[in-house]
Amino acid sequence: MNIIVCVKQILDPDLPPAKFRVDEQSKRVIPPEGIPFVMNPYDEQALELALRLKEKNGGKIIILSAGGQEALSSIKHALSLGADDGFALSDEAFDGSDSFSVAYILSCAIKKIGNYDLVLCGRQAADWDEGLTGPLVAHRLGIPVINLVREIELSNDKLRFTRVISGGEQVFDVAAPALATVTNEAPQPRLPTGWGIIAANRKQIAVWNAGDIGADVSLVGGRARRRKLTGLFVTERNRSCEFIGGENVLEAADKLAQRLNQLGAIR
Amino acid sequence: MQVFDAIVVGAGPAGSACAYSLAKEGLEVLVVERGSFAGAKNTWGGAFYGPVLTNLLPDFWQEAPVERPIFQHRYSFLSGESCLSVDYTGPRFKSRPYNGFTMFRAKFDAWFASKAQQAGAIIATGLQADDVLKNGGRISGIRAGGDELPARVVVACDGVNSILAQKAGLRGELLPGDVKQGVKEVLEFPPGEVARRFNLFDGGGIDWEFIGDCTRGLPGGAFIYTNKESLSVGVVVGLKSLVETGIRADDLLEDFKRHPAVAGLIEGGRLVEYSAHLIPVSGLGMMPRRLYADGFLVAGDAAALVLGTGLALEGANFAVSSGIAAAQAVLKATKESDFSAKTLCYYQKLLEESFVLKDLKTHQKAPHFLENRRIYSLYPKLACELADSVFTSDGKPRKRTWKLLREKMKGRVSFYRMARDLIEAARAL
Repeated sequence: MNIIVCVKQILDPDLPPAKFRVDEQSKRVIPPEGIPFVMNPYDEQALELALRLKEKNGGKIIILSAGGQEALSSIKHALSLGADDGFALSDEAFDGSDSFSVAYILSCAIKKIGNYDLVLCGRQAADWDEGLTGPLVAHRLGIPVINLVREIELSNDKLRFTRVISGGEQVFDVAAPALATVTNEAPQPRLPTGWGIIAANRKQIAVWNAGDIGADVSLVGGRARRRKLTGLFVTERNRSCEFIGGENVLEAADKLAQRLNQLGAIR
Repeated sequence: MQVFDAIVVGAGPAGSACAYSLAKEGLEVLVVERGSFAGAKNTWGGAFYGPVLTNLLPDFWQEAPVERPIFQHRYSFLSGESCLSVDYTGPRFKSRPYNGFTMFRAKFDAWFASKAQQAGAIIATGLQADDVLKNGGRISGIRAGGDELPARVVVACDGVNSILAQKAGLRGELLPGDVKQGVKEVLEFPPGEVARRFNLFDGGGIDWEFIGDCTRGLPGGAFIYTNKESLSVGVVVGLKSLVETGIRADDLLEDFKRHPAVAGLIEGGRLVEYSAHLIPVSGLGMMPRRLYADGFLVAGDAAALVLGTGLALEGANFAVSSGIAAAQAVLKATKESDFSAKTLCYYQKLLEESFVLKDLKTHQKAPHFLENRRIYSLYPKLACELADSVFTSDGKPRKRTWKLLREKMKGRVSFYRMARDLIEAARAL
């Protein structure tokens, strides 16, 4: 079974809040200096499902990632975990692409690879949380899509997807090729092995540009955006400290309860 | 299974200097780093003395992520709300090759490891070395990420808590008396503000050390280093004395930041980093007797190669030097196809001939001398009181400085004891 996993590299979600800043003028996040990007955690779980399928049924796992240097490090990480091959999709024309353009870029690369049974994406990227790219890729490829998938099996030549719903599960059987977006209820990603990391370090990762994947540059980049971002703000959080005392513990507790009630913290 | 020519554990300055030197000579080198990138685990933001690195990478500062060359050194005694300072600057510090730089090792280590990688070393990040492999009596590789990775020689540059040097039997557990705890904040300011507040010109910076009330009399001190647009502010205190007194290093840092000599300079700084780390400070006293074994070398903090004289606390430059020396020994062993202790002992010989062990020997009495509590409480207090009297003009007749000093010393310390401390200081530092 040939599986393509699309991965995105994002700002480390464990970044200390003090390091996270946005430029409200240009409406962009200012990447903190010296802190590398990490693979989107949902994509890591998608890769984990792919690795389990490969272990059971054989086949090949190919990683696709749009982006420059950061994409390479995510692909390298995937290779160290057991993916077979990876391609970075990088071109100046891609800069400023939104989810719609990225989906188009990924679908062009997937078409170039051609021979695949399953495409996996994370349920959403943990930076903007739009959850658009996976379904849009499926739409571009004209293949069925199942979202919020927790488990995938190969059953009588059909792909069997277990999908998480509120308070239960749904199971779908779908003929390949299909695309699934993987939810956080899927198994946690494994850790790389020593030799896995060494092998990934030695591997040359090919970079494909717009021409390589036959992408129409009028459909990608900042100019192809049909949604205009007009505001980007970090919620302001205020902290303050008050000392509440009293003649004795009971009085202090009473005053504290009153104050909390006044602030709407308890009712 | 492939056998690496050398496995270097830890991509800090010792590890990268070693890996770079070996890869440059065509050896197949694997660097194993447990952080997600070189420098990821590093909390160091201070002064790095660069000349040793220029031998390896001339003019490195033009490319490396350094903050400011250090033009100025300042030492201050703190007592109560008073502060007495000595400040030195000279033309040598302001000209190339610069003597020292402020920098962040998180950035610098990533850069240095990338140099080793460009030279041909494999930098395997996110991989922790858990143990050494032993074959007969000799070390034949490491265990990491559940795999056995064989090598002709293993160079342990895995820092102050070196697990590998312990597993190899070269050193025991770290003792609280052998280390100081550093706690540091990085405070960020708007562009130009650091230079304005500290009167810095031409991109230069200041290395400012404090002694006295900032540690409530415990062995140690406080520091401020000027980075490009931020300050590294922290305290370094003997771990044992912290344990004994129950004083917390982070409380000391808060006190220090409120001192009138400091508070105004750091006011309004945005806290962007808060970190703590151990620093090996016992010098030769805690250094393993042998820094080599069959198929094994230990360098940098892992070998406790840190110089703490009270006037200086240097480690990164010693690490670079020891990494280079380890590489030279490995190259010699490779040439002779003999990785036994008999050949690898060349490493220790090189260190003994270089400033690394010579400096540690010169200052071998310093760790003991620096345990003397009078340095941290009485003498800063005396110095500040004396300065206070000398500079006060209140309409009363003045006394000679000598007489003032004698008055202040009365009942607190004898001339004999102070003279002895002075002689000991002269001998140790």
